[in-house]
Amino acid sequence: MTLKVNYRQLSILVFMSFIALKFLALPSLMYLDSENMSWIVALVIMVIDGLYVFLLLDLMRKCKHRNILDFMTATLGPVMSRVFLVVLMLKYALVIANISKGLEFFVVENFYEKLNWVVFVLPLLLLTGFMVYKGVRNIARVSEIICWAIIFGCLYLAVKSVMGVEPLNFLPLFEDGVTPLFKSGFNHLSWFGSCTFMFMLFGKVDFSREKIGQMIKYIVCSILLVMLIFFIFFGLFEATAPIHTFAISDISQFSSGHSSIDELSWLVVALWVTAQAVQLALYSYCMVETIKALFNIRSNTFPIIFVLLYIFLWSYVGEMTVRLERVFLTPYASIVTLVAQYVLPWLMLIGYGTMGKAKRQQFEMSTEQNAKESLQNSKNNRAKTAKAVKNEKA
Amino acid sequence: MKVSAQDTTKEIQQKLHQSSDVKTRSVQFFGTSVSLIYIADITDTLLMNNSLVFPMVSFSNEVSRDVVKELKDKVLSNHEVNEFEDVKGAIDGLLKGMTLILVDGADKILACDMEKITTRAVMEPPTSVVIKGPREGFTESIKYNFALIRKRVRTDDLVVKTMEIGELTKTQVGVVYFNSVADKKIVDAITKKLKEIKIDGVLDAHYLISYLQRNKHSLFKQIGDVEKPDILVGKMLEGRVGILVDGSPIALTLPFVLIEDLQNSDDYYSQPIRVAFVRILRLIGVICAVVLPGVYVALEIYHYKILPTQFLVTIMNTTQGIPFSPFMEILFLVLLFEILYEANLRMPQYFGMAMSIVGALILGETTVNAGLVSPPAVMIVALSGITFYIIPSQAAQFSILRLCAIVIGACLGLYGMMIFCVFILSYLSNFDSYKSAYLAPSAPYIENDQQDLFKRANIAEMKKRPKSISNNRKNNIRRGKDDAQS
Repeated sequence: MTLKVNYRQLSILVFMSFIALKFLALPSLMYLDSENMSWIVALVIMVIDGLYVFLLLDLMRKCKHRNILDFMTATLGPVMSRVFLVVLMLKYALVIANISKGLEFFVVENFYEKLNWVVFVLPLLLLTGFMVYKGVRNIARVSEIICWAIIFGCLYLAVKSVMGVEPLNFLPLFEDGVTPLFKSGFNHLSWFGSCTFMFMLFGKVDFSREKIGQMIKYIVCSILLVMLIFFIFFGLFEATAPIHTFAISDISQFSSGHSSIDELSWLVVALWVTAQAVQLALYSYCMVETIKALFNIRSNTFPIIFVLLYIFLWSYVGEMTVRLERVFLTPYASIVTLVAQYVLPWLMLIGYGTMGKAKRQQFEMSTEQNAKESLQNSKNNRAKTAKAVKNEKA
Repeated sequence: MKVSAQDTTKEIQQKLHQSSDVKTRSVQFFGTSVSLIYIADITDTLLMNNSLVFPMVSFSNEVSRDVVKELKDKVLSNHEVNEFEDVKGAIDGLLKGMTLILVDGADKILACDMEKITTRAVMEPPTSVVIKGPREGFTESIKYNFALIRKRVRTDDLVVKTMEIGELTKTQVGVVYFNSVADKKIVDAITKKLKEIKIDGVLDAHYLISYLQRNKHSLFKQIGDVEKPDILVGKMLEGRVGILVDGSPIALTLPFVLIEDLQNSDDYYSQPIRVAFVRILRLIGVICAVVLPGVYVALEIYHYKILPTQFLVTIMNTTQGIPFSPFMEILFLVLLFEILYEANLRMPQYFGMAMSIVGALILGETTVNAGLVSPPAVMIVALSGITFYIIPSQAAQFSILRLCAIVIGACLGLYGMMIFCVFILSYLSNFDSYKSAYLAPSAPYIENDQQDLFKRANIAEMKKRPKSISNNRKNNIRRGKDDAQS
């Protein structure tokens, strides 16, 4: 059985990644820059992200059996490939920090009066370590199961809250021109760039049952869901939006009419914890793979320990900082996302285009050859293991 | 070898340590000494008298020089006459219920199968009771069990392969599958694993499980077990391989996916809409069984704020004055339930009713009245306990998971419970065995198999065999479906 993820699983990973960071602190932070037009910024960037998914898919199809390092080395050269790997690692590190700290604040604010950060981080590390060790297929399968629960949960929340939405809150549009939109877009770019995880899935996707419609369906669905929550959030809270830290839980509180989350809304909020945990595992996996490629490490153990330590340290450091979100609002974080998500794919495509026909053919052939070789190697390894076991028994 | 009726008999008796149930009978057959050896307790003596002893003593025709040939061709009326060329093989045959015929001067030992099969009647198994549908269950005799399968499958496509496992018990183990449906690689892998088993004895099919499953120390079941021939044949029609063991009324099935335990043979004899409803109920039951006590503990300790006010007031009123923490309260009740269950299971039947009264009425009622536990806690544990048996084959696993959930709920609250659930999902996602993903057809999603996941399609619409089970892909269309359509 292949250890690759199938096309549907990739679509679900894209879907989860598209919605993961959008329902927590982002709407409230965006309101500070672009006010009631934040949804337009989010919509435009998400559509662009969606288009980039197809660009990355095109690149992935060009090297179905090689990893990102091989492809980048062939298209950008060995030095530049290392430089971009560092940029990618920074992007993953940012997302991991964002998810882990965001999740901690979210959990503490919604469920506990007080929660020790060690008690919070240890189970999360255990889960992340396990899922990363088991690989991307494991993360994809878990996402496949929880994604429907999350969709239904969000829809339930939306249906419950939609009656309280005031449509006039969205008007007037473009009062200060489009400049605030660009400013807001750039400032919050770290929360977007949702398909950077796909770089680490090069050579790990099974395209045999590719249905382009399926990917479009999931991307459109994720954009609609995010827009729905944005609409409801701004429609409900308008000018008070900045004081509502977490969109998903504050919407549920508002819709319940009590000071606490009522009935089934807490289930939706709890489900969101699972979505965040799976996303954390996905980006941790990407960071592990980047470290492996960067330092030519074969074993998973050291990179996984490194990533877990990083999450642990962020939780510790985060204890001392007041608002961690500010870190992601710096221009540096946006520049990292800009390069990793929006510049790198074009450079790779241009690099591939300028490779020359002969070189490209050679790369494609070596890709096929590599697949055959890896298949043969795995067969040989299996035979060797069987022989060793037999000898041991004898 | 040269057989001597007297010496070879002695040799066999010596090899069997002069066991007192090994009997001999000497007959003179036209001047030649013939010795019959059998084990009295496993031999059908009436059959032996009628088809062996009586024809030999009453045979009056002329006999040629070749007594063995004469016996085989004209005297022995048994359906099958075996020949052994050494004493070891003959002893093996004797132990299987054959009667050995030692003819003085012959170069081989003859043997006829006279095995007396003692088994209970074919009954409905207690764990697979159906309202509608076949009620026959497997018995402890592998021969009867093969017959029960053959009765349902009249095709040359059915393959039955038998082998002996167990150095001392020499238990007969049978591998059954449809030649054109099962995946050959899986059949070979199973057969190879079975042949490699080195064990003293196999007393039940469950002895083989640890040799066949991939994750040997896992809590979760990785091999299916069925007690009814109709279910086994149904699973074989989907491409699975069955393993029967002599002495066990349970057949193992491979490959196994988790969703099988949510399905019941009743489902295939009922209306599809009803089946969908029942299957969703089962899933809710499973979730209740495992996480409900843990969630209750978490809500009571950490998250009472998220409970609706009226519900919270009710709980507050009933838990006032309880000396234990919610965790201890639930843990006490769960352990009490487990103890009662264990005691009830092993207690003679006539004590069962008394036990229920003591357990449910006296212990339950009095602990609540004494103010040791609260009624909501009793209700939660009782609900969880009952829902365990929606899927009886997974009850043991669920009880361990429930304990883990209670501890996690008490230590970490809802956040811990969510992490626990994702961890379990992640753990199960890795359980691929015999080319089948454990959580299929949900993860990975297999469109074709959604027809038998929660909703069950009409039998006539289920044209393809499930893809979550590795079967012969070239023969994926169920035969006769086109005829059924027309």
